Amino acid sequence: MFFQHYCWTAVSDPCHKEKELSLPCKLIVKAVLPVFRCANVLGRNVEKCSISTSPSDHHITFQLLCKHGVVKTYNLTFQECDPLQAVFAKHMCPNILKVHSRLLADVMIHFPTSQEEITLSVTPVKVCFKSYTEEDTDFSRTMVTEIHLSPEEFDYFQVGVDSEVTFCLKELRGLLAFSEATGVPVSIHFDRCGKPIAFSIEDVLLEASLILATLCEAQKEADSQERCCPQQWGSSETLPDKPSGDEPNSTDISKNPQRDGNAPTSPVAKQEVKSIPRVTGRDVTGRAGTPTAEAAGEATEAPYQKFHSLFFGAVSHKEKDATGHTFQSLATASDTEEDLGPLQSSPVL
Amino acid sequence: MRFRAKIVDLACLNNFSRVINTISKLTKTCTLRLTVCKLYFILSDKVANGGASMWCELCQGNFFDEFQMEGVAAEHNEIYLELVPENLSRALKTAHSAKAVKIKLTNKHCPCLRVAVELPSLSSSSRIVTHDIPVGVIPRRIWNDFREPTMPDFDVSIYLPVLKIMKSVVERMKNLSNFIVIEANLSGEMNLKIETDLVSVTTHFKDLGNPPWASEEGCQSSAQGRNLESMAEACIDIKKLQQLLAGQQVNPTKALCNIVSKRIVHFILLHEDVSLQYFIPALA
Repeated sequence: MFFQHYCWTAVSDPCHKEKELSLPCKLIVKAVLPVFRCANVLGRNVEKCSISTSPSDHHITFQLLCKHGVVKTYNLTFQECDPLQAVFAKHMCPNILKVHSRLLADVMIHFPTSQEEITLSVTPVKVCFKSYTEEDTDFSRTMVTEIHLSPEEFDYFQVGVDSEVTFCLKELRGLLAFSEATGVPVSIHFDRCGKPIAFSIEDVLLEASLILATLCEAQKEADSQERCCPQQWGSSETLPDKPSGDEPNSTDISKNPQRDGNAPTSPVAKQEVKSIPRVTGRDVTGRAGTPTAEAAGEATEAPYQKFHSLFFGAVSHKEKDATGHTFQSLATASDTEEDLGPLQSSPVL
Repeated sequence: MRFRAKIVDLACLNNFSRVINTISKLTKTCTLRLTVCKLYFILSDKVANGGASMWCELCQGNFFDEFQMEGVAAEHNEIYLELVPENLSRALKTAHSAKAVKIKLTNKHCPCLRVAVELPSLSSSSRIVTHDIPVGVIPRRIWNDFREPTMPDFDVSIYLPVLKIMKSVVERMKNLSNFIVIEANLSGEMNLKIETDLVSVTTHFKDLGNPPWASEEGCQSSAQGRNLESMAEACIDIKKLQQLLAGQQVNPTKALCNIVSKRIVHFILLHEDVSLQYFIPALA
């Protein structure tokens, strides 16, 4: 839908047993933005835009071929990275809310921009967002804001379990701004406190998910020790070598993304399939035959073991592109999650 | 002690918001005095404020559709609260389209002003946003600290120039110097002066007019018999003046200042339903 021509050549790396089907890399967004600034200027002047990579010297080249023979070339360096995947089964969440992003933005506007965390509490008959203050704050100095909404305001409202989840508002604001720009409604999937909350938007063109950890009372003591650490995922490249990675159903693989296309044998229940490189038609999220490509985002360390993983999928109907970029199946270990977020720093049983 | 008030009219709400915004630009914390008929926002001239003080008076009937208050005691039917006006301003900021705003004094964990804004929503029931603004209750024994300041024995009283112009002049001067000299005479002339090692700038205003204060006993005695051309001047902190001017969102009905030479400048800004007095002491 976006590209006139899309070509990926898998590079096989002799030191890895399986072919590497993807090039996980990251670019600084601020460096890419100037390339595509001023959309209307681009629309008028640019005839073609070509994007190419040369993995050997770690460059991505954006070339804008403009009118009158003008060619603008941007060479940006990328860094290889191991993308983090949040392991999370949206469809298993008892609470699902779906609402237009405008409503959420209207709600968030009542909180000061300095507000770090907010608490969402739901019962089958009411929804409430309130500002979260840590236990040791001086209540005589902080202003507390609460917003009560009726379930009727939501396009879809399902509350299976009464819950109160606290998450980072600042992270959410970014997604809200994005979804307002695209005009797509936001879906919120969550469970009890301690379990992650997912905000996602889905469209014909793209799919974006923001998964946030939520605070849990018992977690607070463990905060300082538990950190979400990219190194946990670092061994993923050699992962397929590990015996634990062999069984797709095993909870062991919950931490480690499979790199090649081991087709998920049981897509239901535990696994959330994001893309199916070679197998078509099995997609738990219900879009048959549509592999999704993802560029995994960064996970950031934050207090209380907060993290987010923001990934965008471009939905393409072209089958042949499936062998291109990739990501793999993810298995969730939702039954071993307990009170911690999906990225566990302790070894899985 | 009880206090409940409600605003239903949008114009009154916007008006009230504007007053709160102005106050919040002048000071971080202030005292809110509630009586049966009026609200006062008071800043007393402590050293912490740089000696500046403020007295803002509103008639509650002009803003609130419902207003009930019960003071600390029958013979002292008033409430004095210390609050951060910025919090109140923030709570009212997003209430443009509110159906109603209720303010109530509560004491759950600590004394708070609970502002409940009822907003229209797509569904049958409204959206309710509550803001709990922490306040401090000021004990009666120090109520005397917050009395209305007396009108100083001024040398010159003069109407201010158009505030927008004065504001832009002062803002530019603020980049050059920390202090500004205001001088004026009884012939309607005012000068704003700054002086640094490198540069001195003076802006002259003419034909401003001088308010005709009715002579009261003992008052304005220093103004009478004064040479009409002679300037009274005071050197004040430019930031305070800039804050005062920047906080004015609507043109006041009357704006004037009284200058006590080398002592204090007393600004009076009158709107239809609000009066604001601001005192800036002169620096040595």
